[in-house]
Amino acid sequence: MMNTVALPTPRSLIASPLEGPGLRFIAASMVVVNGFFPAVWILLTSLKTETELVSKPITWFPHAPTLGNYVQAFTDQPLLRYLGNSLVVALLATVFSLLVSACAAYAIARLNLKHRQLILTAIVASSMFPLVTLLVPIFETMRSLGLLNSYTALVLPYIVLNLPVCTLVLVSFFQSIPRDLENAAMIDGCTRIGALWRVVVPLAAPGVFTAGILAFVNAWDEFLLALSLNSSASMRTLPVGITLYQGEFTFPWPIISAALIVAIVPIAVLIAIFQERVVGGLTQGGLKG
Amino acid sequence: MATPSLIERARDPSERTLAILLLAPAFALLALIVVYPIGKLIWNSFFDLRLSGGSGAFKFVGLLNYEDVLKDKDFWNATKNTVLITLITVPGALVVGLGLALLANLPFRRRWPVRLALLLPWALPLSFAGLIFAWFFHTEYGVVNDVVRRLGGLGFEPQTMWLLKPNYAFAAICLTIIWKTSSFMALILLAGLQMIPRSLYEAAEVDGASRWQQFWQITIPMLMPSIVVALIFRTITALQTFDIPYTMTKGGPGNATETLAMLIHKTTIDYLDVGYGSTLAVCMFLLSLCVTAVYLRRIGKE
Repeated sequence: MMNTVALPTPRSLIASPLEGPGLRFIAASMVVVNGFFPAVWILLTSLKTETELVSKPITWFPHAPTLGNYVQAFTDQPLLRYLGNSLVVALLATVFSLLVSACAAYAIARLNLKHRQLILTAIVASSMFPLVTLLVPIFETMRSLGLLNSYTALVLPYIVLNLPVCTLVLVSFFQSIPRDLENAAMIDGCTRIGALWRVVVPLAAPGVFTAGILAFVNAWDEFLLALSLNSSASMRTLPVGITLYQGEFTFPWPIISAALIVAIVPIAVLIAIFQERVVGGLTQGGLKG
Repeated sequence: MATPSLIERARDPSERTLAILLLAPAFALLALIVVYPIGKLIWNSFFDLRLSGGSGAFKFVGLLNYEDVLKDKDFWNATKNTVLITLITVPGALVVGLGLALLANLPFRRRWPVRLALLLPWALPLSFAGLIFAWFFHTEYGVVNDVVRRLGGLGFEPQTMWLLKPNYAFAAICLTIIWKTSSFMALILLAGLQMIPRSLYEAAEVDGASRWQQFWQITIPMLMPSIVVALIFRTITALQTFDIPYTMTKGGPGNATETLAMLIHKTTIDYLDVGYGSTLAVCMFLLSLCVTAVYLRRIGKE
């Protein structure tokens, strides 16, 4: 693993003046508060009753914590259905993104191919086109194919959305696997496909996994296409569904907050478990680009 | 990239075929989702194409749509907002992200809380960030006004209507975007910081360089490649800003915070005016093409 190795931390500008543990703690707290405060605030809001919410001045910690908002979050809107849709779409998009980009990345990294740099650039450049400009034609295409309000309508564009970053991560992964291993397997009588399956695939598993998490998060977060292509209640994904708790003039913030917490927890757990890998993949995909 | 060895080629004469087969799915999808839509988009932009059944539906109108765009106040307003958001939030996220990266680069015993604090805003859907910050900026019960009150007002009127006044709403949206995107910046920059060899700082120390000099002479130049990549990525996504203003203000008050992406979405999906929407999209496309050109030239150089 190239990017998850814990590097010795070099001194930076303010590294040294803040050598003391106390000041280091303050620095860490600033980063942590910046990252977690919004989620924590939403958690606190989700535990408040409507009466407490509208008392002034506002309270920071709930006086009489209640879970009622969570119950309402599931009954006011089909939150479970949204969760399910998001999960299915994100998983399908991840699996197919990986399949498509792993094939392309292997060809670019390993096969005797002219213009490989150009091909890689073409794939990466495709991510530069603003999705919203393609929205209308994609909308029309899906409509004429009768695919509006289906998982396919979202999964197909999401594969393309994920293609650049997944391909970049996987190309550099395939390149890090010594070619000699593959050649040795082929000398021992494996076909190229055999060598691919027995040598490269197992060794590339960590890279595939990294790319997979990035693909999953991308698909899970997407809003514009999900909003435009899948507008029927039964096919909505979480980011879209969660905006619908508010009425024309009513904003039931404790309930919205509860729904947000329910929606944040899966992705937070995912990145908490695989944080090193995610960071590695992000910087790899980003820096190589 | 080394050329494939002789053994490799001898073992597999059909390598070219295999390569084409492996690349086929990726390019088929790119054709369906990117290339064909671009062509269709340009085609549509020359037509009066109103799916809602307007009078002149499905009529070739030549460059009329383009003339209309140039005269369209909403278009220029949305363009102004989009460019302003880009010009404010990209440098903003860079500065905040650099600060976070420098703080996160300190030698902590446990790295996970800081790392997770940088990852969480990145992983959060933009629409969630918009909703959460809309609640922060709530006039009566928002935490922002509460903090302002506790700090003695800070020169703001009590109960500032953050999301209901044009300039305040714009500022609130920019702040939210900066919060949401600075952690991605920080992650990229942090990786760059960790690649700067320690020996450079030691040498500078020996030569008697102050920390401030070390920062400007070593850290910033060594970080430049990461900064450039992060800036370009951010610029391209900033031009597409949609989710956060959509969830915070729906473009309002009036259309004070409406971006190009929102205008295109409204025109095509809500009003079903595909012809005019396509023309707007072509214009936005040209805008981002300029940025992409700069980006591709940069890759070409490296």
